[in-house]
Amino acid sequence: MSQPELNDEELLQRAGRRDPRAFEQLYDRLAPRLYGLLRQMLHDEREAEDVLQDSFVQLWDRAPGFDPARSKAFTWSVMIVRHKAIDRMRMLGRRNRLVESAALERSVLDADSAVAADAGQETAERTQSVLAALRELPNDQRQLIECAFLKGLTHHVIAEALNLPLGTVKTNIRRGLLRLRDLLKGGD
Amino acid sequence: MDERYEELAALNALRMLEGEEQRALDGACVSDKELRALIAELEQATAELALLVPPVEPSVGLKKHIRAQIRSKGGTAAFGISRGAILGIAGWALAAGLAVSSIWLWNERSKFIERHDSALKAIAAAIPAADPTEEKKETRSLEDELKSIRAAYEKKQAELNTEIESLGKRETEAKNRITELTAETEALKKQDAEAQFQIASLQSEVWEYRRCEMAVVWDGRRGQGVIMLEKMPRAESGKDYQLWVVDPGKPDPVSAGVITLDDKGSAKTVFKPVAPVGQIAKFALSIEKKGGVPKKEGQIVFISP
Repeated sequence: MSQPELNDEELLQRAGRRDPRAFEQLYDRLAPRLYGLLRQMLHDEREAEDVLQDSFVQLWDRAPGFDPARSKAFTWSVMIVRHKAIDRMRMLGRRNRLVESAALERSVLDADSAVAADAGQETAERTQSVLAALRELPNDQRQLIECAFLKGLTHHVIAEALNLPLGTVKTNIRRGLLRLRDLLKGGD
Repeated sequence: MDERYEELAALNALRMLEGEEQRALDGACVSDKELRALIAELEQATAELALLVPPVEPSVGLKKHIRAQIRSKGGTAAFGISRGAILGIAGWALAAGLAVSSIWLWNERSKFIERHDSALKAIAAAIPAADPTEEKKETRSLEDELKSIRAAYEKKQAELNTEIESLGKRETEAKNRITELTAETEALKKQDAEAQFQIASLQSEVWEYRRCEMAVVWDGRRGQGVIMLEKMPRAESGKDYQLWVVDPGKPDPVSAGVITLDDKGSAKTVFKPVAPVGQIAKFALSIEKKGGVPKKEGQIVFISP
């Protein structure tokens, strides 16, 4: 039986009660976005699919502990996927090799290509809100956050790669994320 | 909040912390509720950045790989199919073999990737139109598993019904026992209520008997009593002490028998009047002829107040 009317949180809760159909429906909804993120982080389709597979297995395992009052299903899933991806990068020794290239490519998050054609209105609006909030940040803060988010690098590595004082990197990331949080919560 | 912990929380949200910094943040979290809330908020805000990443469809077979991996881990009954069902259906075994092979191949390094692809193609070619068949067989397997679960459920339900019936019998027995005990208790209460004990301490106005002690306990329901005497002088030769019950409804005291003293001048004996008596008013002890008399003749030495 299809469950088209259920939102992501309800599907994840059902998965937690061991409903495989709900879990597969959740996969259909979240996998493209998560896979897109993994491809940008890992720059390798096969690695990205491998990590995506591990992540969804972990999602299934941890679904019984999901609390919709504390987190949205999407953000909860993103955290799991990012952690998996960074673990994989560390395992492959790739995380710090990027520094050696001395050319930390510009990592840009842009909603223009992020909204899928079949994305719901709610997702599209939320995407625009996140982009608007990100654009509110000063350039130096936004650049560091985008770089850290998409590359999974430590602040030490970023400071070295961008030739910035470590304290500056930390301060800008702190200020930027606090501001981003306030903007996404509807603050000025 | 301390800027240092704000900084650590922000770096943590992006998973940038390592070693000592991560331990410092984890340690501070234990006792700082506000810090835990900040960490959660920053993680949420960070995760939402993923909305800005263009979605890309993963390969078609990935969902099946995930399903197979969850099954292979065991303990996931909803995804799992019973071993008996799998062994009972050859087609499903082939599909499971395909899935397992795919997982193994998928985890190999790049040098095996070409082998992986060719193996998948070879297996796919060997099982034409496998997917529709697999779906039907999977449905049948799920139906079998459902039947098995239903049978186990019905068995458990029958056991519970038996247990409930047994408990019902025990409850009935317990209720009957309670009824019996309640009736016994009521009977005992009634007996107690009906018992009319009367205790009288008799006094003597005769000089020789001033130091003597005499008491009577009278059970009106049974029509008998107990008399206790101490420090009594011996009766004269040819004489006996005789106890009398004074019933106001009778013209004369009713004899309750001769009282025999021991060597110490004491006596403790049950007595019963020779004729039924009604409302008791007094008890009296007199000195009568040896062996007692039917009607009081001698001197009264004790009388109850």
